[in-house]
Amino acid sequence: MSQNELSRAKRHLETTQKMKEMLPRFFMRMMERKLSNEPVAWCMVGVPPELLKAFDLLFEWPENFGTMCASRQVAPHFIQAAENDGYSPELCTYVTNTMGYCRLLKDSGEVPEESPLPGGMGTPAMLLGSGFICEPRWKWFQSIATRFFNVPVYSSDPLAPPWDIDPHDPCIAKHYLTLLRADLAGQIEFLEKQTGKKLDINHLREIMTLSHEALSYWRDTLALRKAVPSPMGSTDYFHAIIPQMYLVGDQEAVDFYREMYEEVKNRVDRKVGIVEEEKFRLIWFGLPPWFNMGIFNYLESLGAVFAYESTYNVGDYFEVDLTDPLEALVQRNWQRALKMHDYGAETMPELCNPAVFGGFSGSSLLDELVEEYSLDGALMHLTRSCRAVSFGEVHTKNRLAKLGVPSLIFESDMADPRLWSDAQIKNRLHAFLETMEKTRQGGKIDDL
Amino acid sequence: MTSNLKTVQNEKLIRRIKNETDRPVIGYLCCFAPPEIISAAGAIPYRISGHPGEDTSAADACIEPYGCTYVRNILTRALEEKLDFLDGLVISHSCDMVQRLYGIWTYYHPEDFSYMFNVPHQLTPWAKDFFKRELGFFQKSLEKFTGHKINSDALKDTIKLYNRNRAMIRKLYNLRKEPVPQIEGSEMLDILMAGGSLPAEDFKPLLEETLKKAEQRKPQTQKAPRLMVWGSIIDDPKLYQIIEEAGGKVVCDDTCIGFRVWEKDVPLTENPYDGLTEHYFVNFQCPRTDRGPGIERFDYLLERASEYNIDGVIGYIISFCDPHKFDFPDLRDYLKKKGLPILLIDDNYSFEPAEALKTRIQAFIEMF
Ligand code: SF4
Ligand code: SF4
Repeated sequence: MSQNELSRAKRHLETTQKMKEMLPRFFMRMMERKLSNEPVAWCMVGVPPELLKAFDLLFEWPENFGTMCASRQVAPHFIQAAENDGYSPELCTYVTNTMGYCRLLKDSGEVPEESPLPGGMGTPAMLLGSGFICEPRWKWFQSIATRFFNVPVYSSDPLAPPWDIDPHDPCIAKHYLTLLRADLAGQIEFLEKQTGKKLDINHLREIMTLSHEALSYWRDTLALRKAVPSPMGSTDYFHAIIPQMYLVGDQEAVDFYREMYEEVKNRVDRKVGIVEEEKFRLIWFGLPPWFNMGIFNYLESLGAVFAYESTYNVGDYFEVDLTDPLEALVQRNWQRALKMHDYGAETMPELCNPAVFGGFSGSSLLDELVEEYSLDGALMHLTRSCRAVSFGEVHTKNRLAKLGVPSLIFESDMADPRLWSDAQIKNRLHAFLETMEKTRQGGKIDDL
Repeated sequence: MTSNLKTVQNEKLIRRIKNETDRPVIGYLCCFAPPEIISAAGAIPYRISGHPGEDTSAADACIEPYGCTYVRNILTRALEEKLDFLDGLVISHSCDMVQRLYGIWTYYHPEDFSYMFNVPHQLTPWAKDFFKRELGFFQKSLEKFTGHKINSDALKDTIKLYNRNRAMIRKLYNLRKEPVPQIEGSEMLDILMAGGSLPAEDFKPLLEETLKKAEQRKPQTQKAPRLMVWGSIIDDPKLYQIIEEAGGKVVCDDTCIGFRVWEKDVPLTENPYDGLTEHYFVNFQCPRTDRGPGIERFDYLLERASEYNIDGVIGYIISFCDPHKFDFPDLRDYLKKKGLPILLIDDNYSFEPAEALKTRIQAFIEMF
């Protein structure tokens, strides 16, 4: 795939555009701390950032680094280095991106100049994994600590009941909650040992209070997307998750999400949409192609908007009592498992998993979303290297067909542009929308 | 390629046993949910195997094309009613593919009984406790289905029966430590496959007979390079046959269905769940379980390599098999340090094209 066919995204909201100043400021602050040799923890999504913040720990997200490398078109460089090292091209490209980065860093002793983060991700002093969603997550940090940095690792293991086990049964709830609580305690013990600090519960509560305030704005913003015309786009959505990963528990994050909410609300009130004529309201399934976020703008140019995305609902918000912030962390996960279960997430036991982002295979959740967000179609990005998130798309497609909602599955990857064939994909997307249009005028859904 | 005859035979046999005994057959994948419990509950545990190389397009109607071909293969077989002798299904939370298969299978092809056996990835004390509790939930759900209560003594007896079979398998493996192994890798795999397919009491006489015959074989003299096979599921002796044709001897293995399952006895503990947890969770060497960083996690392999005096390793990985693919670079480097070469075979669960495979294996073997 030649790089000039790939395009970066245009965001619609002023708030999300402001991130272009806000994040570099934040990254510079981080770099200064890294330069003064403060220990850095590399973490996975699923590790509560509030906890890291409570330890005043400097942290990095290799996954997010993967998305940044992909956006800057440098991921192939790192992925290739990992492949040269023996990692299969089939493996999660967020992981191989990190592996290649580590390999180059280790071999040359210097931060690879391709790194999109100033100063790179630093050298990890510890690794905090989370095994939710997928297997690669268990192997990823294990191998980093085996091959590159011999540092302590703690991986948390938030299991959840399969779809046909009733989590409301008190025995089952106890079975799982006992594990979740002990696992969190294990994580805290690890952090206390590695940082030499005791967890300050009051400080954690303050951070969680702020973080939940930010999350509640995010939840309310997402609900505003039920409005027609669509007030914000996927390019806004996918970028707006970043402050919650880094600035969690900061007033700055609360302000960001409040402003975003106000801006979107204002657009809804004034009926300002992101496209001139909104022809198709869609739901997006899967991870986005970070190297080509312009694809969303391309779809918008054809009159298609997304009112909902199935992934990265990091902000899925649950009312929990913050009096005991540790129990609140456990409950936040458990409530999600209950919610997914109640919706009937039949295909993916693990997507009932407490900490998962998506999980929209819950049957009645699909019905609800189609209704509330006035959806008339779905696009599903089948990411070859992340089977974990794309698994279930065929089933979801079958479920949507029952509701009369057409969908298209197209294949590529979240970070590796070598799997993107621009003309072919655009043709398919275009043809899909055209068929949708024709169907409206009396065709049959089978055509899709 | 044609289906493995032995698997076809085992399937025929299980249908017959089912008719004769009137016991329900419960199919299972992976080795976390103990077949001893299924057996003690009055059912027949049956390890589901695929037919490598067969068309898997029926699976396309409900799962994505990118996925372990073994999983796609067995799902296709279920959808095409080729596993219609199963009354129930037990899937463990092992790798992603297997665990996710559970929901798809039970949605598109519901069975009279199904259970997903959840397994933590950590080996912490609380994860062990979880596993032990899960055994209890599993037992209860089986009892409800079969109407047969399991008491602790009955479970202990079943464990003993299984352990006796394990002891015989160890003896068979010992015969492979000889300078010229008295039993071929492909024969051994056939036996292990029967072990997964038949009730333990029917497997026992078969083992006794095999053992007797093998011990009576005249010691052979022609030496050949000694290999260990490591990797994803191999439930068809085809690969081992190709290796044998290429002039090598598979003398030991570390794959999902091989020695791993039989190597050690289930410890006989006061509470049988303790022994089962030790065996099926703590000791069971599946790469999906986190044994922490460091190459020490492969030490058990090196011990096996020296016990069986191997010359090299053949790694076999099925497409999209994350747990093994992720371990490969670490393992390769570790083996290299210890002077053991490894040949990696990437396959889509078809062992095809067989000629090309044979040529590669021959070239590898010539090094020794
Ligand atoms: S969920 Fe997908 S993208 Fe994320 S770590 Fe797992 S395989 Fe990689
Ligand atoms: S071959 Fe690999 S992916 Fe397939 S079931 Fe086995 S461990 Fe899972």
